[in-house]
Parts: sequence; structure tokens; C-alpha cells
Amino acid sequence: MSRLNGFPFPFTKDQYTYSNNSVPLDPAKTITVTADYKNELELIRKLLQKHHQRCFRSLPLSIESQWEIMLLLFNELASCNPESFTFQKMGGECLFQNHLLAEEEAFVFRDVSTIDLEPLDLVGRHVQEDLIIMGDRHDGLFLEAGQLCFPSNWSLAFVQGMEFKSIHNQVPGIQNDGFIDKVERFISKIQPGAVWERKNWSITVTNKLDTPLETYSVWGKHRQEVTCENAGDLIHLRVEVQRLFRLPMNHDVLFTIHTYLLQLNDLIQQESWLKSFYQNIKTLPEEIAEYKGISTYRTELLRFLENHMEKGRRGR
Amino acid sequence: MAYALQLTVKKIENETDTIKRFTFTSDEIPLPSFGAGAHVTLHLPMGRRQYSLVNNPLEMKNEYVIAVKKISDHNGGSGYLHECIGQGDNISVSSPDNFFPLRTEAKHHVFFAAGIGITPFVSMMAYLKTIGRSFELHYAASGERECAFHGHIQTHFPSKSTFYFMKREEKIAKLKKALQNRTMGTHIYLCGPPAFMDILLEHSHELRYPEKFIHEERFQPEVRIENPQPFFVNLVKTKKTFMVSSGQTLLNALHEIGIDVPYTCRMGVCGTCEVGIEEGDVLHCDSFLTEEEKVGKMLTCVSRGIGHIKLRL
Repeated sequence: MSRLNGFPFPFTKDQYTYSNNSVPLDPAKTITVTADYKNELELIRKLLQKHHQRCFRSLPLSIESQWEIMLLLFNELASCNPESFTFQKMGGECLFQNHLLAEEEAFVFRDVSTIDLEPLDLVGRHVQEDLIIMGDRHDGLFLEAGQLCFPSNWSLAFVQGMEFKSIHNQVPGIQNDGFIDKVERFISKIQPGAVWERKNWSITVTNKLDTPLETYSVWGKHRQEVTCENAGDLIHLRVEVQRLFRLPMNHDVLFTIHTYLLQLNDLIQQESWLKSFYQNIKTLPEEIAEYKGISTYRTELLRFLENHMEKGRRGR
Repeated sequence: MAYALQLTVKKIENETDTIKRFTFTSDEIPLPSFGAGAHVTLHLPMGRRQYSLVNNPLEMKNEYVIAVKKISDHNGGSGYLHECIGQGDNISVSSPDNFFPLRTEAKHHVFFAAGIGITPFVSMMAYLKTIGRSFELHYAASGERECAFHGHIQTHFPSKSTFYFMKREEKIAKLKKALQNRTMGTHIYLCGPPAFMDILLEHSHELRYPEKFIHEERFQPEVRIENPQPFFVNLVKTKKTFMVSSGQTLLNALHEIGIDVPYTCRMGVCGTCEVGIEEGDVLHCDSFLTEEEKVGKMLTCVSRGIGHIKLRL
């Protein structure tokens, strides 16, 4: 049952709905440290080492917000997990200690000569989240920097410098009733100090966290392999806990994405989750199923879930 | 989402004969960081009052500094601060919000201030100087003696600042001239009394200056109702009827009857307290909704109904 504890199950209704499902978080935290910290950090660093161009991008305009985020996240790590992290700041001199990884980072705030990496790249190697900076400009929100190791079928290189609406253009139905405009206005209205959270879900075949568009040929083909028999092993519910935070000093928006995977065999242990997941997959509009890459195996997945619900009923 | 901090008045200094600088701090809590152009809300016995922070956001040492011009006796917010608040007093202050941020993509920033409207620019100039960006200030006041932060500006930004102490007509002509022939990518910021802002805004329209490159902070909501009238409200979903008195905002009246409309700025800027209009005429006083949106929505913090309105609540 341990995999189920703390898993951010995303479905609140027994039917798929399309909405701005953001809620304000109190206390306002932008990141979370979980039991998978060490494993995921090892993977993050390996990806950054091997595919830096794919996993880190920044425009020069983002540098002040990068520094602000580095302070913010080191502070948050230390204040929320004092046994694992320590952070001290005396004037501009800063010292961050990561006791889990037995490492430390000493630097002078806003002095690039004291760090080897860009600030966002550096702090991103101490948190499980992917980190995105949306620059709040007079003509919209723009993706100006990101450290992205675990994308769900998108490419940082492709969207770098793009405007918020253009990035989301390919999401089916997003233009209906001016939906995307309202979301953009909502984000541009977020005031300093507030954190808004939403959960976004999809499905990954296998337990792979890093599924960028660039390696689609490697992981995408597994979608063809799902059968009613192996669905429990292969299929993983993928949930992104996404948080939006207005950077008080530089007025840009920090977007953090914490990705969780739960194997279907684990998910079906919880009867209410099984039922809710089934209803959502069943009522998913075809264009959304296509967008999320579920269409290929939806029939097999539904049959697998039906079999287990049937078993549950017989077992009682 | 602003929340209240209990702070101590660390210092009160005279900036001019009518303007005082107040420094707030706390020994117990780290003060939340803020950006250039941000303001804090002071919770005073006569209500909440907002003041721009004048510190450099990048060099904040657990202090908030504001400058307040005395425009009332002790029954008003500014008079109360001048006459009744002393060093060592405690005061409740909401964490900073920012409705007047810098547009850091600007190639060049040009600030136009009049009188106490200088305050947000003191913080903005310090920030821009620290990060090494290009800016200039045009600052109108009645004279050097009345000019807040004159010495500070002369010391820190001498080559970037122009003061306008001359007669009104000459002042206006020169300020208009300063608005002309700007290069692409220049962002303009205005802060001062309504008449000052209107003259410069109007001139910027004459020059066809692109609107998205002009930013303004007003001391007052966009439209001020001189003589607020009471009006009746029907809530169509919760089926409630009530009256909003002349001295009350619709937002307050809704809260009084237990309808929890969220809000942030209370000055018609942020759009948080928006509600749908089912029927009736509304006097819109906000600077947030577009003309099309005003047909079906209103901001309850500043806008009022005329006679009898129905709301989708």
C-alpha cells in the first residue's frame, strides 16, 4: 500500500471535466520532498549531464528571476525539511547544505562568478520538480527559462521563448469560450505570495518519468504493446502536481511540476480509485484521448478495469 | 494573497515639512520580499490605507519603508500616521502586493512623477540601478523644499533625473516635450495627482504612443463617485435582497450578509471580486474589466448599482 500513500490522485468526479481546476495552497509551498528524492535526483542529474540542451534552456532576460527562484527554493527546502537541508544567508553570502546528498553550495547572491551553472540549473539539481519561468511581459506570458527533465511528450527546446497561448494551442478544445484567455488572465492576476495548485494527469506505458518529445520513438512504441493481460504491469497513471507562484521581487511566474507515477496494479487496490479512474477513462472525449495518447489501448485498458471491478463485486 | 503582519515602527523621519518617512520592521519574523512598485496596506482605525514601498527590493534588510504626505487631520489616514503614530508603536500591515510592476523587457524606462507620486519610482530606480538597466526620471513638484527625496535622488541618480519646479504652464509644456520622440521599446510610467496623469496620458494618445507601453498608478480608483447613492440588490441564486447604503461598498455589503466574494486590491485593479450582472444599470469604477466585459460583469469593491440591480450570486 505504500505506493498509494501520498499519491496525488487527480479525479474528484466520476466523469471527465474540462476546467481551470486551480486551488490556492495554504501554506504556500512551491515544492515537495518525497521518499523518491534520492532516486529522482540521480536521474535528473544524469539527464542534465547527458542531454543538457534538451533539459535546460534560458533566455538572458530570465536571470534575475533565476536568482530569486534559487533563494526561494533553498529557503523553502530548509524551512520545510530542516533535518535534510540547511540554508544561511548573511548579506549576499549564501550557504546551502543538502544533507541527503552530502553536498553544499556556497555562492554570493546575484554574483554569477560564484556559481558554475545558471541559478535555475543549479537549484533544479536539488529539487524533484521541473522548473519553468514564465516571464510576465506587457504583451503576455512567455516561457523564458526552464529546467525540464520529465516532460510528458513536449519539448523545451521547441517552446522556449513562446507565448503562453501558442504553447497550449494543440490542446483540444482549449480555445472554446475563450478558455485559454481566461486562464492566462488568471495567471497574470496572481499576486505575490500566493501559490495555486492544479493536478494534470495522463498515462505513461512503463514507469518512465522522462518522456520528452525528442525521444518519442523510444517510449511511444510501447503504446502498441498494451493488452488486457499486461495492462496492470505496463500502464502507469501519471499525475503532474503543477504549482504557480508569483515571484515577488521580479514579478515573473514560477511554474513547478512534480511528476508522480502509480502502476495500475497498485491503483486498483483502492476500490474507489479503480471506479473513478474507470469512469474518467470511459467518458474521456475521443480528441482528448487522442491527445493524451490513450486511444491506441483504451479498449484493452477499459476491459482490464472492468474485469477487476467485476472481481471486486464477486469478492464481496 | 496578502496577509497581516504585526510590525513595529522603527524610525520616523521628516522628508519635507509635510511628508514623513516611516520604517517598519519585526524582530520575530522575516518580512516577505517585494518588487519595485509594490505597496503595503496599513490597517488604521479609520480603515485600510495603501502606500508604495520606497526601499530597494534587492537590498531589503527586514524593513519596509513608506513616505506619507499629510493631507488630512488625525481623523484621516495620513494625519493619523503623522500625529498619532510614534517610534516603537505596533502596526498591522498587509504583506506587499504589486499592481504597478516594472516591465523588465523595456529597453529604457521613463518615469513621470508629481508630488508624492514619486514613491514607487524611488524603489524602481534603486532596483534598476542595481541590475544595471537604463532609466530616467521627470519629477514635478512645487519647489525644492516640498520635493520629497530630492537629496536622495540628486545623490544616487543625478544624471538620470530632471526636476520641474517652474510655473504650471511651463511645467506642462516641458513634461509633454519629455514624452516626445521616444525610441521603440521605451516604457513610460506615470504616478501623481489625476490632473497630472490625465494631461500626460492625453498627450501620449496624441502622439499615438502604444498603450501597452504606458503604465499608471493612480492614488484613487479610476472613476471616483463624488456622491454615492444607495441601491438595492437582488441575488438570483441565493435569493437574497438587500440595500447598499451610500457609505458602503457592494463588496462590504455582500460580506455583511455572509456572501463570501473573494477580493484582493479593493481599488478596482485586480479583478478578484468580479461578479456577474443579471439585470440593471451599473456605474463601473474599475480599471480592470474590458468594455465588453462590463456588459455582464462588475467589480464589487468599487462599482455601484443604479437604483436596483440583480446579480448572479
